[in-house]
Order: sequence, then C-alpha cells, then structure tokens
Amino acid sequence: MKLDPRTKMVMAICLSSLALLYDTPDRLLLLLAATVALLLLFRFNPGAVWGYLKPFLSLMLFLFVIQSIFSPGGAVLLAAGPVPLVTSQGLSTGASVVLRIMVVTASAMLFTTFSSRDFILGLVQWKVPYELAFMVAIAIRFLPVFRDEMINVVTAVQLRGVELKKVPWGKKTAMYRRLFFPIVFGAMLKAQQLAVAMEARGFRAYPRRTYLRRLDLRRADYMSMLLFLSATLTLMGADVMVK
Amino acid sequence: MTFLELSRVVFSYPRKMKPALTGIDLSLDKDGVTAIVGPNGSGKTTLTKLLIGVLRPTEGEVRLEGRPVEEYSLAEIGRRIGYVFQNPDLQLFCSTVAEEVGFGLANRGCEPAYVQEKVAFYLDYFELTAYRDVFPLYLSQGEKQRLAIAAVLANEPEFLILDEPTIGLDACRKKNLEDYLKKVARLGSGMILVSHDEPFVDKMAERVVTLANGRIQSDSGRKVNAAYEA
Ligand SMILES: Nc1ncnc2c1ncn2[C@@H]1O[C@H](COP(=O)(O)OP(=O)(O)O)[C@@H](O)[C@H]1O
Ligand SMILES: [Mg+2]
Repeated sequence: MKLDPRTKMVMAICLSSLALLYDTPDRLLLLLAATVALLLLFRFNPGAVWGYLKPFLSLMLFLFVIQSIFSPGGAVLLAAGPVPLVTSQGLSTGASVVLRIMVVTASAMLFTTFSSRDFILGLVQWKVPYELAFMVAIAIRFLPVFRDEMINVVTAVQLRGVELKKVPWGKKTAMYRRLFFPIVFGAMLKAQQLAVAMEARGFRAYPRRTYLRRLDLRRADYMSMLLFLSATLTLMGADVMVK
Repeated sequence: MTFLELSRVVFSYPRKMKPALTGIDLSLDKDGVTAIVGPNGSGKTTLTKLLIGVLRPTEGEVRLEGRPVEEYSLAEIGRRIGYVFQNPDLQLFCSTVAEEVGFGLANRGCEPAYVQEKVAFYLDYFELTAYRDVFPLYLSQGEKQRLAIAAVLANEPEFLILDEPTIGLDACRKKNLEDYLKKVARLGSGMILVSHDEPFVDKMAERVVTLANGRIQSDSGRKVNAAYEA
C-alpha cells in the first residue's frame, strides 16, 4: 500500500499516544500487534523490525526486572522469606513498560518507510516553514550519525587503554559525564559545518523555494487518517471514562 | 618473533556484496617499519582495523602474539598498540588539548606530576603548547592530526599503527613527525604506516606492502633503509 508520508506520520503519532496512555499489558500487546501488522502492510520485512528492536533488548530486560521488583502490589509470586520479590502487579507493570517502548520504537519505524525528501515536501505543503521541516528531517537523518559518533568515541576511549566494560559503575558514570560535553559539542560543531555547507549551496538564499514534485493526499490517505484519528480519540475517550 | 599475524583473512562490510579484503596472509614483526600502500578503497584502513580488533574478520584469523585478537579487550590492545585513525575527529574526545594528551597516562594511574611532565613534552614537540586549553575540535586539520598523534604517542605503546598520518601536515611538521617516528623505530618499536605519500614512505619504510582491490599485490619483505643505519 502506498500512502502519503503525512498519513504515516499521523498514524505513528496516534499509535505512540495510545501507547503512552495505556498501562496494562493486554492492551499494549494488542497495540503492538496492530503496529507490527501496519509495518508489514508497508512491506517492512519482519527481520528489519527485529533488527531495530534488538539494540534495545538489554535495556528493556533491565527495565522489566527493575519495574517488576520495585512495583509492589497484587499476589506475591516469589518471595525471599518475608520479603516479596515478584508480585503480579510488578510483573504487569514491567511488561507494560517494555511493551510501551516496543510500540513507540515500532511506530517510529513508520518514518523510515519514506524518504526524508518526501517528508519535507509533505510538511511544507501543510504550511510548515521549509527551514523547520528541513531541520526535523535532518534531525531524523542525524540520529544514526549520532549513534555512530557514540560508537566511535567509545572505541577511541578504549583504544587509549580504558577498560570501559570493567570500570566500576561510579567511575563509569563519572567518565560518561566527562565525555558527554565534548561529544555533544562535537556533534553540534559538525551540524554547524553542515549548515555552512548548505548556505554555501544557496540554502535560504531565495525567499521562495520551488518544488519539482507535489504530494497529493488521495482518498486512501484521507480515509486512513480519519480512521486513525477517530479510533485513537475514541479509545482515549473510553480510557478516560473508565477511569 | 611474529607480533601481528593475519591468516587467510576475508572481510566483508555488512550489506556489501564484494568483500573489502580477501585472502590476506601477512605477518609483522615486533620491530621494523612497514608501509601499507595502495589506491583509495583498496582496503588499507580496513586491514588496520582488523589488526586492532575493531573489526572482526568474516573468515580467517588475526593473532596478536599468537593469541586470537578477539581474546583481548580493546583496552588491552590499545595499551600495546597505538592507533591513529585516518580521521582525527573520530578520536578526540576530551575538553582540552592538554587533557587529550594526558588522558591515557592519567587513566593508567600515573602520578599527576609525571603526567604533567609528559604532556608538556608532547605538546612542545608537536608545537601545540599554545593551544593547551583549547577545545580539540576547534583546531585546524593539521593541528588535530598532530594532537591525535601526540595523544597516542604519549601512551608509549610498543607498536604503532598510523593511518595516513601525513595528511594535512605541512612540510616542516611532516619532517618533525618523521624524525620522531624514526627515533621511536630506532628504540625498537615496530610500526605500520598507511600512506599515499611516496617520499614519506621511501624515507621511512623498511618493508612495503601494496594492496589493490582488497588483495595483497606485492610485499617487498624487510629491507635495509638507510634511515636506520647507525
Ligand atoms: N563502514 C563501511 N561500510 C561499508 N563499506 C565500507 C566501510 N568502510 C569502508 N568500506 C568500503 O571498503 C573498501 C575499503 O575501504 P578502506 O579500507 O577504507 O580503503 P582505503 O583505506 O584503502 O582507502 C572500500 O570499497 C569502501 O567503500
Ligand atoms: Mg583509508
């Protein structure tokens, strides 16, 4: 199915909003299933979905364990003597947190099913200023760059002889805190160089830009957006009413 | 004795059909200056990254003193082999030039006074003293290059790998680098120089390995270079 990037954006926003609102694992699981089904519909292959989620796996496991242990309530499932370790409430909170992250990550993947150029074009046609649309697109494009930058720095630090994996937690956070500023500043510096390069090629030199193509919202787009927005609002409304 | 060794190494980057390196057999001694030359994209940088374990071979094995490189941590390798990246931006991560040079020593738990002394020496040698409190990424390309080299040399590794070290250096700074590397080599440290700079290679290298299209095209073997004659 071929939809306008703006339609996909609306879908992603709807799905993430619901994920943030919902806090029970059953509904979040349904939401995740819907998101994955949507991705498959857009010809996203399942391997790639897994590839995106995999880096977050250890973080999710960590959150799951932490949440399970620290949210008491419900039936006690596992106890160390008198101290309840795992409770039904804890498990459900843990599962919710993990599922929520998965839904948000999976719906963000919708953004990768269209090019950044289409994304800009779509926003501009919705009267979003070109510069702003461009910034957002660049920000999305820069995320992998930023990740690579982090990997580079971590490699470079280790190659200078620091056992990042073995230093104790306290020292590790101190190290990260020290490196944070130079990394962020370095990334900003690079972004600034990009801005200069863009201006040198005439970015913003003329008040009005022309576009080679136009994106047109078709019936399928209007229908999908309407469907998603109304479904989301209904579900949100229902959720609030129940509470 | 063989220090670094690659045997039947093949390496492909993910999502690339053609391997960046194929059928690489190479062994390097603990001492001696080896130059790796070859056109752009022939796999020189990839080869050096395999040697320090930043990349893992798709097939074959890379060994450091007879043990597979994967058995060492990056930090263990880093303390023994100093690696200067092709792009200095990738390896500068401190807030000031002086901190950058002292980073390795300070982390190894050296006395602050000793670190200070070493930092002063390397800053002076690579003419960076005037910038000691500057943010490293504010430096010019050649200054960043010198800083990256100084920061690695200050660690006093047993072996050096420098990827295109003369890029961005003017004639005078190149001469300084050359003199310093020769001194290090005479003291018995081995090194690999990846370079396009033919005069630099001629002056420095005892062995020249030529890569083309991801294969070793020729290997001169170790020869006497007049630079190291007493
Ligand atoms: N990170 C990477 N991902 C994919 N391909 C790469 C990557 N780095 C290098 N290559 C490719 O591998 C080949 C060898 O590159 P490289 O080792 O950098 O060559 P050299 O240093 O000799 O110029 C080139 O064809 C290059 O395009
Ligand atoms: Mg290279």
